[in-house]
Amino acid sequence: MVPRDLLQSILETIVDNVYFQPPPDLQMVYPAIRYERARADSAFADNVPYKTTKQYQLILISRSPDNLAFESLINLPMCSHERFYVADNLNHDVFNIYF
Amino acid sequence: MATLTWDQTAQRFYETGVDRGVLYQLDETGEYVDGVAWSGLTGVTESPSGAESNKQYADNIVYLNLISVEMFSCTIEAFYYPPEFEQNDGSASPTSGVSVGQQPRKTFGFSWRTLKGNDTEGNLHGYKIHLVWGALAAPSEKAYATVNDSPEAITFSWEVSTTPVAVGTVLSVEYAPTASMTIDSTKVDPAKLAILEGYLYGSVSEDPMLPSPADVITIMASALTLATPTAPTYDNTDDMITIPAVTGVEYLIDGEVVPSGDFGPITANTLVRARPLTGYKFPTPVQDEWLITFS
Repeated sequence: MVPRDLLQSILETIVDNVYFQPPPDLQMVYPAIRYERARADSAFADNVPYKTTKQYQLILISRSPDNLAFESLINLPMCSHERFYVADNLNHDVFNIYF
Repeated sequence: MATLTWDQTAQRFYETGVDRGVLYQLDETGEYVDGVAWSGLTGVTESPSGAESNKQYADNIVYLNLISVEMFSCTIEAFYYPPEFEQNDGSASPTSGVSVGQQPRKTFGFSWRTLKGNDTEGNLHGYKIHLVWGALAAPSEKAYATVNDSPEAITFSWEVSTTPVAVGTVLSVEYAPTASMTIDSTKVDPAKLAILEGYLYGSVSEDPMLPSPADVITIMASALTLATPTAPTYDNTDDMITIPAVTGVEYLIDGEVVPSGDFGPITANTLVRARPLTGYKFPTPVQDEWLITFS
């Protein structure tokens, strides 16, 4: 299993609706996690990138500001909460995770 | 008369990078053998010491200035280390996967490469190979830390001191003992550099090893004589291999040098390899190994 498939399966244990880089016209069902590739972090040795870790940005979208999925996401290894905002009466929690 | 100029095109040199770390073990005969690749090398910091001034006064003046012996030391930094380094870092391994600490530290040899660039070819201009003999690693701190929200690997660090090894008189020049040497690929004969790299990094027929300082000087400074190996012969009536005597060539069986003359009797297929002695080179292409089929 490639790392992103594993991340997908982990996220699906937290909420039922997980979308990886969904097209703009996709009608999402909430609560949902929408995530996308963000950047890659490389550590260099021997004059080459020796170890590269991909970072994903996860957005937990929920009608409730106290969705329990928040606790599950914040406790994932190498995951940090970036910010919270409300848009279109939906609560958004943005996380960054290296996976 | 020549006029000085600065920063000409293709003359803007710099050095950068570090790669191709190789660890060599000192065997009981004093040779540095069994080279293994050191992956994950992030830095080597050379820290020479000594050569300190010790002024002696007489007649109300500085009468002479004595200089102490110069010593070579360095710091190796890496994300990881080859398992063979554990014996150099004070660990013994009674069985695979088990490391016993606080054991005697073994002397090792080390080589690494830095890049030499210029303004026209960039980092591809050339490189320097750094060689170290008589190295001993000091106990070092290993700061293990929790995984956090950023992907960081531990960078290990080892302070390495050295004991200079004898060089002696090479090509009529006497050298003081040394623990370090640098080879600049942009200045040496590419054929000789290829021979040295064959020793350092190994080849199809040879395991990596670190030649002695005297051998490195001989390889790089002497005119190489062409030597062509001849094939060993096999007599299946007594199962003996006859190793030929060829000036400038030595033959190896199972990694051990064998003298010219009869070898055996053999009891299985045997691979005989030839390699040039220091100061000699093989023509290219050349056959330098023969599989003797036991019959």
